[in-house]
Amino acid sequence: MAKVTLTVNGEARTASVSPETTLLRLLREEFGLTGSKLGCDVGDCGACTVMVDGKSVNSCLMLAVQADGRDVVTIEGLATMERLHPLQQLFEDKGSLQCGFCGPGIIISAKALLDENPDPTEEEIRDALAGNLCRCTGYSKMIEAVRAVARAGRDERTAGSVA
Amino acid sequence: MKRRGRGIACMWYPIGFTVSANPSAAVVKVNEDGTATLLTGTVETGQGSLTILAQIVAQELGIATDDVHVVSADTDTTPMDTGAIASRTTYVTGNAARLAAEKAKKILFDVAAPLLGVKPDHLEVSDHKIQIKGFPSRSLHIGDVAERARGVNGDPPLGSASFNPATAALDPETGQGKPFATYVYATQIAEVDVDDETGEVEVLRVVASHDCGTPINPMLVEGQVEGGISMGVGFALEEEMLFDANGRQINPNLTNYIMPTSLDMPKVEVDIVDSYDPTGPFGAKGVGEPTCVATAAAILNAIHDAVGVRVTSLPATSEKVYAAIKAKRAQEGKRLAAGT
Repeated sequence: MAKVTLTVNGEARTASVSPETTLLRLLREEFGLTGSKLGCDVGDCGACTVMVDGKSVNSCLMLAVQADGRDVVTIEGLATMERLHPLQQLFEDKGSLQCGFCGPGIIISAKALLDENPDPTEEEIRDALAGNLCRCTGYSKMIEAVRAVARAGRDERTAGSVA
Repeated sequence: MKRRGRGIACMWYPIGFTVSANPSAAVVKVNEDGTATLLTGTVETGQGSLTILAQIVAQELGIATDDVHVVSADTDTTPMDTGAIASRTTYVTGNAARLAAEKAKKILFDVAAPLLGVKPDHLEVSDHKIQIKGFPSRSLHIGDVAERARGVNGDPPLGSASFNPATAALDPETGQGKPFATYVYATQIAEVDVDDETGEVEVLRVVASHDCGTPINPMLVEGQVEGGISMGVGFALEEEMLFDANGRQINPNLTNYIMPTSLDMPKVEVDIVDSYDPTGPFGAKGVGEPTCVATAAAILNAIHDAVGVRVTSLPATSEKVYAAIKAKRAQEGKRLAAGT
């Protein structure tokens, strides 16, 4: 067994895991964070996407011990009790998800994109979501939602610079 | 080089089969606070059917969608439903929900009519109130009427109903009859780029025009159409189950069974045709499965428009499209040589 200490959604967490444990299983089974989904378990579907040190990662392809000392953000880390994250809010407003299984991974991929590039083109959004498979929606309303969040951020920045 | 082409395909799709019993049932209870509870056996899988059913009940009772509490898919408490299948939920279950709400409303009208000094058929619902048609200022709150129905009249406002598209066997001699209650129609147009050196097809744009009756929730209709088109793109160009000689699937995974990603998805323009079906709840029919029927045909027609070849087995992979282009060139070469 190996001891891992990592930051999960801003909180320091420690666990003792067997060496073959993936980051996804650590999150779901040790920490009870079941928002990240176990889909294909081989890195094809993206349902397990989380952020590690600000980059989107398939958590089924990363060993828990590789996450030692790193900063992990999952879908559970986005909303507060008071309000949804703007991406979650826009996904809801625009009906971007249907069955919802791909949702946590898609939203994390979109967040990783916007954190790095707050004003992406549609092509950049499509590229950022390309590792997340969705069988229901055709992605159209997801792309629309990410664009709307980017637009709102741009408006905020413009208003800020005027003030 | 890349060659652009456009293709069109039209389809119809049946809603509400009649060749065997196809019922849905619903129970609606109007509560004393003016909210309502709907019991339905149908299942929500993300398509939004419970939202649609809540909207139908809310419209019938003149209350807000948020005021309808839906209890679904619980065999202990909800009526049996034929299923969230065959694009039937809005039409069949929706009709049952509307009829159940109408029965509960009738009880409320019978209670409200003497209080307002008119006959029940002079009443209507609007904005949480039961009011006299043409005199909206003379009204009662629906919750107060529900309370009175229970507490004074002893007739709580409950309604239960079922809807079964009239079962009608086909003529065994001719095969003729009315196998479905209603039909929906759609036309889709696809625009593609085909690389005539590799056979690679990129779907750039799909315009989809759908008649689904009156859309109860246009945003959900768009979601269904966009999702159906992504399935149609996969059907046309990518998705194929491959089997070995023993009938075992050799690509039972997402590494080798290729389906559309956000990069494969074309721009989609959805056009919802103005339509009203008098047999549907508030004119609605359905929209689920019909959305992916025309897509592959439109894309294959667009490939033909772009490079002049007919690919007749799906998916139209780059290999197949390139082979067809090569065969066509060889044929043309022969004709040229023969001087025809």
